[in-house]
Amino acid sequence: MHQPIKKHRPPLKKRLADASEPYLYSAPALILIVAVMLVPLVVGISYAFRDIQLLNPFSGGFVGLDHFRALGQDEAFYGALRNTLWWTGASVFLQFTFGLILALLLDKPFYGRGLVQALVFLPWAVPSFLAGLNWAWLFNPVIGPLPHWFTALGLMDEPHNILSDPHLAMWGPIAANVWWGIPFFAITLLAALQAIPRDLYEAASIDGAGPVQRFMSITLPFLAPTIAITVLLRTVWISNFADLIVVMTNGGPADRTQIVASYIFTQAFKRLDFGYASAIALVLLALLLVYSMLIVLLRQTMLNKG
Amino acid sequence: MASIDIESVRKSYGSFPVLHGVDLEIKDGEFIVLVGPSGCGKSTLLRMIAGLEEVTGGEIRISGNRVNDLAPKDRDIAMVFQSYALYPHMSVADNMSYSLRLRKTAKEKIASAVGSAAKKLGLDPLLERRPKALSGGQRQRVAMGRAIVRQPKAFLFDEPLSNLDARLREQMRAEIKKLHADLKATSIYVTHDQIEAMTLADRIVAMHGGIVQQVGTPLELYDTPANLFVAGFIGSPGMNFLEGRYVVGGGAGAAGEGAGIRLSDGTVVPVAPRAGLAPDAAATLGIRPEHVVIAENGMLEAGVDLVEPTGFGIILHLSLHGLPFKIFTLDRDALSAGPTVRVDFPQKHLHVFDEAGNRAD
Repeated sequence: MHQPIKKHRPPLKKRLADASEPYLYSAPALILIVAVMLVPLVVGISYAFRDIQLLNPFSGGFVGLDHFRALGQDEAFYGALRNTLWWTGASVFLQFTFGLILALLLDKPFYGRGLVQALVFLPWAVPSFLAGLNWAWLFNPVIGPLPHWFTALGLMDEPHNILSDPHLAMWGPIAANVWWGIPFFAITLLAALQAIPRDLYEAASIDGAGPVQRFMSITLPFLAPTIAITVLLRTVWISNFADLIVVMTNGGPADRTQIVASYIFTQAFKRLDFGYASAIALVLLALLLVYSMLIVLLRQTMLNKG
Repeated sequence: MASIDIESVRKSYGSFPVLHGVDLEIKDGEFIVLVGPSGCGKSTLLRMIAGLEEVTGGEIRISGNRVNDLAPKDRDIAMVFQSYALYPHMSVADNMSYSLRLRKTAKEKIASAVGSAAKKLGLDPLLERRPKALSGGQRQRVAMGRAIVRQPKAFLFDEPLSNLDARLREQMRAEIKKLHADLKATSIYVTHDQIEAMTLADRIVAMHGGIVQQVGTPLELYDTPANLFVAGFIGSPGMNFLEGRYVVGGGAGAAGEGAGIRLSDGTVVPVAPRAGLAPDAAATLGIRPEHVVIAENGMLEAGVDLVEPTGFGIILHLSLHGLPFKIFTLDRDALSAGPTVRVDFPQKHLHVFDEAGNRAD
């Protein structure tokens, strides 16, 4: 009875090889993903629950939720959170608005459009630190023209640096960010615009739609999925984007331009408290995840509807 | 409903002319088909009437009013596009009512207009669907529905059936014809398909190279084509052409006293005398494949290259003096045609064209 079964059963080695085959094939990719993405993520998250201070050789112990309790009491963090909302909201809104206008203009054929398109996308190629320095200088009344122009226009009493004005400082990095980020929206929205069939506009104009009605009933519905995804991407991106603020104001004056991302940077690399910085980063991550989920859901319902 | 007058209308893109002075008078309620090969300017002309292209020169009038500078929406015309151009994010009902909603028509009026159009086109069960959930034929119907709800002065069709399969195309063709009989709306229909042109049109406008070649009823174009282009374009399989010289009287050889066309091998095909042709002038003889007669004692011998049974009839591909030549016959005996056949050309079905390609009568 046992003999024939044994005969049909392949040797153990072969069975092992067969069973492990799919895992072996996917192993290189999986190992790479785990090593490059998961390990740093877990280590980073673990920092949030440990006391890690670079200058304290005795640190490194597990502190549980201590960092989060401290964070709950941290006025500077709440200020940074409010500033992040302000910084992200204004930047995304202005980048999107100007990007859309630019994309609509570039969608119309005109002489030299190719050249203009290429030029418009230039800011995107400028390194963010360079862009930050450049704008910081532009706002500096000693070497930059902007304060003098604002004064001439009657917007300022005398040329001074808005980056050192607690009420206006945030507009400096926002202006730089808008200048730097418009091309992103212009590129993606232009691509989406050019994918809209022209005869839909023709059909609508014969149906009696004016330019505004055509925009509302054809352009917007077609752009909506792209708008949702680009706004989502940019929002996450910008709220994590501390370069311009670090370069231009370093969070000042008096933390008026401190956003969560730059606060993390300050905690980690100025105070060298990696544990606390990781805890803040974890909170920011959670907030952005929630936000992304909402947008993805919104996009999904929109796509299903359309 | 309205008449449309087109007066020496020209169009050029930059310095490149695509329409060279088109004149056309379209009567109220008429169904006009613009036909021609791609690039002949027929779609451009239609789009100029719609207001989608600017008029370079000349004048377009709808109901007697000059519309050259009017926006498409102020011309009160409806158009059916080749791609249908349905609004993908709107339901069928919304697609059809869009123009009425833009005009702030009363809700009850919209509902009744959409309802009756949907009924006419059999779209009732589809009103809540979106275009992507419809088949090609259904989309085509929605595009037509969108045009008829408005009761415009004129309908413009830009190759509306070319994205459908053959069976559906035939069916929609009949429906368009019925619809036109029903609505009696002035219609201009662009197509490159001469069967559509023949079956739908009150009058056909045959175009080529931005010039109107002939305007007339379908049978006028079929029976008395004005030139070689029209002769070759209308009819399928296309007309056969044989080049030769026009001969009269004594020089006509076999033709005796009458006139004839002497082909390159010396054969003279007798034709009725043509006043417009000088003796010995170069001329082209035309005969439709369905008019060629196979006869044992026919005057010309042709080699059989290919036999194509179509079910309805048989197409014989011949070579006559080394040139391709076709016969269409209902006679099944042609299937067993030998390596050569002898053919005759009945005189009443012969067309003669002069050196410039114009019809000579």
